[in-house]
Amino acid sequence: MKDRTGYEDLSFEATPLTAPMEDYIETIANLSSEKKVVRVKDIAKKLDIKMPSVTNALNKLKEKQLINYEKYGYVELTPEGEKVAERVCNKHSCLVDFFSDILRMNLKSANEEACKVEHHLSPGTMRQIQRLIEFFRSEGESKRKWIGELRAILDERRLSDLKEGDAAEIIRLHGSGDFRKRLIEMGFRKGVKIDVVKYAPLKDPMLIEIKGYQISLRVEEAKSIMVRLREVSDSGDEE
Amino acid sequence: MEMKNREIVIGIVGNPNSGKTTIFNALTGARQKVANWSGVTVERREGAIIRGDYRIRIVDLPGIYSLTSYSIEEIITRDFILNDHPDLIVNVVDAGNLERNLYLTTQLIEMGARVVIALNMFDEATSKGFIIDTDRLEKLLGMPVIKTVGTRSIGIEEIEREIVEVAGGQSDKVRHIHIQYGLDIEKEIKEIQSKIWSDEDIGERYSTRWLAIRLLEKDRDVERKLRNYPNFDEIAEQAAESRIELEKKFNDDIETILSDMRYGFISGALKESTAKTAPKRIDLSEKIDKIVTNRYLGFPILFVFLWALFQLTFSLGEYPMRLIESGVTQLGIAINGLLPSGPVKDMIIDGIIGGVGGVIVFLPNILILFIGISFMEDTGYMARAAFIMDKIMHKMGLHGKSFIPLVMGFGCNVPAIMATRTLESRQDRILSILINPFMSCSARLPVYVLFAGIFFREHPATIILSLYMVGVALAFLSARLFRYVFFKGESTPFVMELPPYRMPTLKTTLLHMWDRASQYLKKMGGIILAFSIVIWVLGAYPKSADIAERYAHRMNELRGAHHAQLRAARKKGVENTAGVKRLEERYRRDREQLILKKKAEEKKITLIGRFGEVILPLIRPLGFNWQMGISLSTGFVAKEIVVSTMGVLYHASASEDPEIAQNSLEDTLKKPEYGITPLIAYTFMLFVLLYVPCLATVVVIGREAGWQWACFSFVYQVLLAWIICFIVYNIGSVLGL
Repeated sequence: MKDRTGYEDLSFEATPLTAPMEDYIETIANLSSEKKVVRVKDIAKKLDIKMPSVTNALNKLKEKQLINYEKYGYVELTPEGEKVAERVCNKHSCLVDFFSDILRMNLKSANEEACKVEHHLSPGTMRQIQRLIEFFRSEGESKRKWIGELRAILDERRLSDLKEGDAAEIIRLHGSGDFRKRLIEMGFRKGVKIDVVKYAPLKDPMLIEIKGYQISLRVEEAKSIMVRLREVSDSGDEE
Repeated sequence: MEMKNREIVIGIVGNPNSGKTTIFNALTGARQKVANWSGVTVERREGAIIRGDYRIRIVDLPGIYSLTSYSIEEIITRDFILNDHPDLIVNVVDAGNLERNLYLTTQLIEMGARVVIALNMFDEATSKGFIIDTDRLEKLLGMPVIKTVGTRSIGIEEIEREIVEVAGGQSDKVRHIHIQYGLDIEKEIKEIQSKIWSDEDIGERYSTRWLAIRLLEKDRDVERKLRNYPNFDEIAEQAAESRIELEKKFNDDIETILSDMRYGFISGALKESTAKTAPKRIDLSEKIDKIVTNRYLGFPILFVFLWALFQLTFSLGEYPMRLIESGVTQLGIAINGLLPSGPVKDMIIDGIIGGVGGVIVFLPNILILFIGISFMEDTGYMARAAFIMDKIMHKMGLHGKSFIPLVMGFGCNVPAIMATRTLESRQDRILSILINPFMSCSARLPVYVLFAGIFFREHPATIILSLYMVGVALAFLSARLFRYVFFKGESTPFVMELPPYRMPTLKTTLLHMWDRASQYLKKMGGIILAFSIVIWVLGAYPKSADIAERYAHRMNELRGAHHAQLRAARKKGVENTAGVKRLEERYRRDREQLILKKKAEEKKITLIGRFGEVILPLIRPLGFNWQMGISLSTGFVAKEIVVSTMGVLYHASASEDPEIAQNSLEDTLKKPEYGITPLIAYTFMLFVLLYVPCLATVVVIGREAGWQWACFSFVYQVLLAWIICFIVYNIGSVLGL
């Protein structure tokens, strides 16, 4: 396969496994890079699945000779398993890059979304996505401006799309009329930090914190407030 | 009040939750007058104190975030400053939230008002880690800044001193400053001002700079104020031109541009006068909120609180209520012995004492409910309750805070309607007031119990529950209808601050409670009393000498016959006690029957009785008979009376004594000759549910929302009751129920 941008040719070949099995392999690979040994308990915890189900799945993987596993023992990938795992992980990290770098989603949701779709995309699609990422990453003066513009657009969220605990910064207020005026007067202005404290038990209204006080807004109303997520690290008290 | 005292008028202005009312209370104590701002459902509080040669009249203005013409509360405050020409404004500012609170201050400066700042809740701000250099802030803002803690009356004396000094023109801290908007905007402001100056009259009434800025911001209220001046068109044209010019230049809309400038001024001032260190204690509020607004625990906790509030108000409140009732009865009995019989005695005992009893009987409920509500509000829990209930209430076109008054309506509509005062927005208040009567209050229960017990012996509870549900459903639909018809297009966004939890002081709570109770007695008591007497007269007059004579005669006959029978029996030698006893019993029964017949006949010729008969053609289509008509008419005073009137009209004894009450109301109503079917009984209960709950409710609506709303609600409820009952009765008849 030709690779015009000159990046290493990652393998996105399909694996012989079902989606849940791919998840197991992926988890085992991740765990074994974090720890010396992988236990059934760790896998169960990571995937939030009951131990007996994990054991079941492991037995199936063992039949396929992808892992070495004895009852009550450690779990280990076979060389064949390593290969499969690599393919799965390639897809995953490529998608995470796509969601976070290009679509500007935060890392947590990028990871979650990647886990959901990684099993279903064909190698061809994956390759196209990879090319796009590489294009974005390659330097180029001409590109910088419009990439900046695109990012600014993609970074915009409606306040109502944010999740509990999200930290953001106001970009602008949409709409018109008294409600907007009221928000402006209460200190909702460009550049002001705004945090989603929580949603009411029925998911509406939402409680936000701005300038050190808490205000509840209906979700419908929060739609007119455009914000940009801030990474939690820059939420410090530099002010 | 000596005449030599010079009067100073001051207004207290501040954000909601800035502790404005605590400062007002600390300044005035319990010497307050409460009224509504003319024509609107917003409370106006006033108090007066004497300091030195001055009589200081203090007006507490509604809590607002800004002085634009966004809400009725803002217009009230603004008009007060413009038209009442207060000598001074005390601007209460939350010291822990200066940036937003000072926004209002910048607008006060713009209006040219003389201001003293009360830097309130200073203790809380300090523990949050704020360090505020008040001397510096005073210089930057050009006005005295006093540290206060309203709940503990700290800094109040200083405020009073500053009031006198500033109003007397002796303060050296007062310096009139301008919020500088930068060259471009200042130039446009000047342009507009020069157009305004062409009419001297305007300049005398208002600050032209303020007018220019307001016009730039498309202030509808200011436009309205200036409309009648000859040069208005010219001014408006200039304002529009300037606005377009600036919006083009800044590439933003005018509100944003100007508010950015104001906030710029504020943050500049704060940078020079405040600092922040690490907070001294951890935020307890956050921890409480984690539980109280928790996804799973939020609702159970709210319901526990509500249940407790309901129980306290209505179950605990029942003991003092009974005491009051029996006290009133005792008083009636005592006076009965003192006065000679006659119309005056009837008037005093049944009319006046009964009426007073009808007024004060609500007092325990009101006192307890308002201790509870005041506690919930002052701690900050009310805002949380509104937060978790808002989604449901919003579906009804209401505000989250409407929930508590609605639930309280199941106990009694009178205190519940008073409780709608927690709602800040006028329309939300009116809506909540209008639908409150559909919450079936406890006084309607006896009617349901009687009829459901007789006609739905199998499942009375289901029937009663269905009535409550119908009430709630109609409240829901009515709220949507009213919102659509009366407040269409008026947006009520839910921008509600959730203040940190605070422990209220006993003083504030008691003051709040006393305030409500005294208001109830003063504002409503008199009217309810007057109406009660009127209705009593309608229900007691005219009296017929003919009936009295006829029954006296019949009574004599009966007595004569009884004695004759007794004598005859003795003569025959019937000495056994059983026989005599039987005769005695029959006599007593007949006598009772005769008295009831007399009462019924008397009732029928009174004005209410006649009214009940006159409306008979109107209630026939609902399947009601004349007894029901009269009962419903008298039930206007209070729903308890429906049952007692029926007792009289059906010649049924209300007595509990089974020997006398051989024909109880229950048995009588069942008799086929009266023609009451289960369908009619249900329709009747529906009518009782839906038509006007009681006289006191109408008066309270009139007092709280205005008499036009009281009239509307009266007509609406009666009409709705009629229509619903007509539909139910006719569909039921067709179905053969």
